[in-house]
Amino acid sequence: MTPPLPPRSRGVIALLEENCTVCMLCARDCPDWCIYIDSHTEVTAPTAPGARPRTRNVLDRFAIDFALCMYCGICIEVCPFDALFWSPEYEYATSDIAALTHEKEQLREWLWTVPAPPATEPNAQPPREVAAAAKAVRADYPGGFSGSS
Amino acid sequence: MTADELAAAATTALGVAVTVEDAYPPLTLDVPADRWVDAARYVRAELGCDFFDWLSAYDALDEGFAVVVHSYALERHHHLALRTRIPREDPRLPTLTEVWPGANWHERETFEMFGIFFDGHPRLVPLLLPDGFVGHPLRKEFILAARVAKPWPGAKEPGESEEGGATGRRRMRPPGVPETWGPPE
Repeated sequence: MTPPLPPRSRGVIALLEENCTVCMLCARDCPDWCIYIDSHTEVTAPTAPGARPRTRNVLDRFAIDFALCMYCGICIEVCPFDALFWSPEYEYATSDIAALTHEKEQLREWLWTVPAPPATEPNAQPPREVAAAAKAVRADYPGGFSGSS
Repeated sequence: MTADELAAAATTALGVAVTVEDAYPPLTLDVPADRWVDAARYVRAELGCDFFDWLSAYDALDEGFAVVVHSYALERHHHLALRTRIPREDPRLPTLTEVWPGANWHERETFEMFGIFFDGHPRLVPLLLPDGFVGHPLRKEFILAARVAKPWPGAKEPGESEEGGATGRRRMRPPGVPETWGPPE
């Protein structure tokens, strides 16, 4: 029995792990100190001869303590890579306060409940993310791709 | 009545210099602490502010504490605030419960939160804080235990799992937490 919820309901915070670069901005801007992030650095071998090896940060743990969270949404606002989203899911009460700390696996499950962004106005420019994605597809498939325009 | 006229009228009535601040509503009468009750009586009787809205204080650091009382005129429909400054060393004021009985609980809360004593209050005991609570939480020098007892999750750098890695850089400080608050090093 789910009541009809408005599209911008603040039920819970979901994480799209692939978009997270472990920049720590959300954990630092959180006024409640409720976001816990662990990560390590990996070195990837150079892909081309003569290129330098690259290091990148890999996320090990991303947890939000919803016992502390005050649902301000600053982490979602501040995320530069759109890794955090509001989900309208709200039925996650527990009888154990420690169980309100949810790890990235559960935050991923909530991602599937995130509603699609509201439609743009008629005749509006397409969102820049869409153009960027199309450009990335063209770069990956220089010979042509049936989905690209 | 404009702010200047009000200041002049209050100065005449109380016999001390009263200033009025009208930078933003409500109009605020600044009175000396020794005329606190007289000013409240004047506001209630002469300016019609018969409704006590609330009383509280704020910590102005070197300038002591400012105690503010908001009142409202039920018939003439205007708000008025009354404010005074008291020194940090001996924060005390006479009670306003004789003027507005509703000030009772507000003065108890101001007493526990700032440690301001209201002389003549019928029962000046803490209102909200638990028994045995030490300190005055709304004073600026009060250290928030939750910001000291727990390490800041944002202290880690990207790529770190344990705080205090091998980076030689200066550690980031949590925003809004004074440097002197940290755990003992």
